[in-house]
Amino acid sequence: MKLGKKCVVLAMCLSLLFLFSCSQKPKEGSPYTIGVNLELTGPWAEVTKTVKQVLIMEVEKINAMGGVDGHPLELVIEDNGFDQGRAAAIMTKFTQNKKIPVVLGPWEDPLQGTTRAIAEREGITNIIFCPSNPMVRGLKQKWSFNIAQSDIIVSRKLADLCLARGYKTILVFPGNWPLALSLADYFKQFGEEKGLKVIIAKETHAPSDIDMTPQLIKLKPIIEKEKVDAFYASTGGPPGPIIVKNMRALGIKTPVIGTHAFGFGFVIALGGAAMEGVEFGAGKPVVPYQLDEGDPVRPIVTDLDKRMKERYGQGLDQIAGHAHDAIWLIYDALKRCKGEVTRAAFRNALEDTTEFVACHGIYNYSPTDHDGLSKEDMVFIRIEDGKFKRLKF
Amino acid sequence: MNPWIHIPQLLAAGITMGAIYALVALGFVIIVRASQILNFAQGEFVMLGGVVTFFFITGAGLPYPLAALAAVLAVIVIGFLLHLLVVYPLRKASVLILIMATVGASIVISNTSALLFGTLPKALPPFSGDLPLELGGIRIVPQNLWVLGATFLLFFVLYFLSHRTLVGKAMEASSTDPLGADLSGIARNFMVFLAFGVSAGVGAIAGVLVTPIFYTSYNAGTLLGLKGFIAAVVGGWGKNSGAVLGGFVLGVVESTSIAFIPAGYKDAVAFVVLLLILYFRPKGILGSPYIDSRRW
Amino acid sequence: MVKKYNKGSRIEYRKRDILFTAGLWLVSLILPDPHLPYRREFIKKRDFFYVGALLLLPLILSGPLVYLMVLAGIYAIVALGLSLFLGYAGQISLGHAAFFGIGAYTTAILTTRYAVSPLEAFGASALAAAVCAYLIGKPILKLKGYFLALATLGFGEIFLVMVRESRSLTGGVSGIFGVPWFSVAGFAFDTSLKQYYLVWGVLIALVLFAKNLVRSKMGRTLLAVAASEDAAASVGINVAQVKVRVFVLSAAFAGLAGSLFACVLSTANPQGFGLGLSVLVVMMVIMGGMGNLYGPIFAAIFLTWLTDVLGGFQEYSLPIYGVILILLLIFFPDGVGTRLNERLIYLISYWGRKRRRERVDI
Repeated sequence: MKLGKKCVVLAMCLSLLFLFSCSQKPKEGSPYTIGVNLELTGPWAEVTKTVKQVLIMEVEKINAMGGVDGHPLELVIEDNGFDQGRAAAIMTKFTQNKKIPVVLGPWEDPLQGTTRAIAEREGITNIIFCPSNPMVRGLKQKWSFNIAQSDIIVSRKLADLCLARGYKTILVFPGNWPLALSLADYFKQFGEEKGLKVIIAKETHAPSDIDMTPQLIKLKPIIEKEKVDAFYASTGGPPGPIIVKNMRALGIKTPVIGTHAFGFGFVIALGGAAMEGVEFGAGKPVVPYQLDEGDPVRPIVTDLDKRMKERYGQGLDQIAGHAHDAIWLIYDALKRCKGEVTRAAFRNALEDTTEFVACHGIYNYSPTDHDGLSKEDMVFIRIEDGKFKRLKF
Repeated sequence: MNPWIHIPQLLAAGITMGAIYALVALGFVIIVRASQILNFAQGEFVMLGGVVTFFFITGAGLPYPLAALAAVLAVIVIGFLLHLLVVYPLRKASVLILIMATVGASIVISNTSALLFGTLPKALPPFSGDLPLELGGIRIVPQNLWVLGATFLLFFVLYFLSHRTLVGKAMEASSTDPLGADLSGIARNFMVFLAFGVSAGVGAIAGVLVTPIFYTSYNAGTLLGLKGFIAAVVGGWGKNSGAVLGGFVLGVVESTSIAFIPAGYKDAVAFVVLLLILYFRPKGILGSPYIDSRRW
Repeated sequence: MVKKYNKGSRIEYRKRDILFTAGLWLVSLILPDPHLPYRREFIKKRDFFYVGALLLLPLILSGPLVYLMVLAGIYAIVALGLSLFLGYAGQISLGHAAFFGIGAYTTAILTTRYAVSPLEAFGASALAAAVCAYLIGKPILKLKGYFLALATLGFGEIFLVMVRESRSLTGGVSGIFGVPWFSVAGFAFDTSLKQYYLVWGVLIALVLFAKNLVRSKMGRTLLAVAASEDAAASVGINVAQVKVRVFVLSAAFAGLAGSLFACVLSTANPQGFGLGLSVLVVMMVIMGGMGNLYGPIFAAIFLTWLTDVLGGFQEYSLPIYGVILILLLIFFPDGVGTRLNERLIYLISYWGRKRRRERVDI
């Protein structure tokens, strides 16, 4: 009898759980839902905040235009807290929701390994912002698409910059994370193809390092001995300005070249006067009003810049450009889907994207290339008087 | 390549780092002298010192010295709140619970700061120019001298406070002999309350001094706090002089070790030093009044 | 007066007794028993109830929740091991994420580089974690309190730096990708549902092991060490040895969990094995109640679910998480189950007592 009562209690508990799990299921309706899996807390919060703002702004614009053939777009944004397990759990949650044809994010490389594996297994399109490292690229990726400039084209562009400036010997000081390391490796490969001498330093730095003086003290003799013409800080985020500032404090006057991650306002704010003369190749949204008049990208970039200033009081940057491009690529692919929008149909439509003009340039996807952008979509930039100035060679 | 040629410059960098660790360690010691509590959120006070000053300068438009003062006062209030909301309700709880609660407080403080002030690193202008001084081939930024001077000044002030004033002695009494303190009419909880305020203030001053040299971002506090704690253990747990000595030892060891090993292992050095000192001399270099050698 | 009190309260007493019993019975159905190690029975009806619930749970849970339960099961294995070290032996460790990581990396390296089968790698992971725990435990376990916490935390940090820097072995910050699914004799655990049964099956086996252990001489020794090391030493217990043993054991549990984690997520990277995980696991043990084997498992499910729900709060998730941790610690310092049991019992009995007291006053 006691057991019988227990069974009743058990049934009650389970039915409660069942109700709970039912209530979490999505509502029926016609909108297309886009899952967004982002690091909204943790070290990348500032970056992902911009992504979120732009996504919301652009989705509102699309819906005001009447949506995709009458279907409005809808965002489901979840925070993965820069944690592998949580990112995977959120990705699984999205894949189980049949209303979601595409998932955006996560931002950082380490989390992408897991989410890409889930995307390939479950067959859902996963659009990734940050360019990824060779290890992730080595995985088969039928369902993963890159938005940002890949490490390959950034390195090619930088090799062009070195040739144009006449640098012969370049010392690379890479960060210890995958993107920074693969940028350094590709730069060495492409640079040596063009006859440059590229030395990759054994010393690395972590994204959380607040003082690079010790590493730079060890690099200083190498710079003097090898007569290095340029110092390539293969890094991203706060370490960039820290490296330049510490270099100047140690009296190293070698010109500095950087990655496209130098193209953000905060880099100048942090580095101050030390950042003068730093050169790099970056996406077009860094200098929206210095693009050529005939550039098809220019009206899009300036329009987005104006709308962002109006709504958030903050101008356009490369991150905002990525978010804008992602949502419009999805819009475009959804429009081109014939018949019912299934996950497979959406993927094929996205893969067929050709000559799609957006903020960062012209996107061309093909079954062999999921990177989209090309070298021509980047511009050379120099920091002068605390501002980004476009260089033309 | 001969690693010894880097030593003088690394030594200069190490002494600056040491001064910073010493400042953070002093904050730990203040609380330990008033009660046997270890505040894992100590590093967050340092972070807040820099970030709040930055906020007052850019957000509220205050002049630099006034902003720094206001930030220190604000952080002292946060220190008081930390005691009232987290430590006081747990005054009778075990060591483990207190550790976890202060870790929780540190999560809340750092992420709330990220929410309010953003996660981008903040830089403050140096107190007196950023032209490096050249001393026999070694280049030193003037701000380093400010940090060194402030460390010694604070050390003497705190030494005077804890050994020459009635409040300081009452604080120490409430830590070494709680029952005796109660019997002689010392309000023990109030002493801990005061200690949290002073400790937060010292941490905030450290933050204001450090931010011009390095950058402060919302997650810089955790590692600084841990290293400050290691410095306090290395020098001698619960001694002001031990904290300062430990800070310099740790800073110099950490910095000079880079001449011999790749810089990536830098963060592990402090913890290896900690494990060694805990194994061979848990009392620390100068010995500790709170650690009975028999029980260790 | 006394007689009157007895007479008048007889009916009241009966009523109170019934309520009291009913309340306790209800509580005992849902909450783990805080005094489990002192009970005689080894396997009770409740255990079958739990196992049955576990078997049936996937039928009613939707897909993502099953996946969450997989993660919760993995964390529960770590929490179970830590419960032996922290809950029973009373020692503090903030470095269990490192053993978890050692397990994950051992599996990842063995399966991707040396084509070892996942089952063998599973065993090797536990072994690797145990060996590391033995080497590190020998010197640091003589410490106590804050210093032990700090030393284990330091070990965790050293592990992370090592993993990040030895790039040729561990793949640096990006870690290792493409770890194969866990498979036994050709049967691959490739869906959430299969992984759910795998993880919880391992967990049930480990719970049985741990239950046996705490009822053995070893378990009693652990409790003695937790109560007083001096007293334990005076009755002839080799305190240092006991501490090292239980540390090694709990590390082996963490290693097993790490191995499963690598197989389920198919990657291993240092991002997942930091201080945050150590804190989370210690939190599970505290919430579950010290000296309790079922509590940490419930706490693991709750906290895993909580972090997932908080993901929906976007930017506010971590601050809210911190506040919840502090509140749980302030209001349930000796475990939610234990404290709720006591509170409920107190409330139920207080209700009767109050009525009785009023009557006496009249």
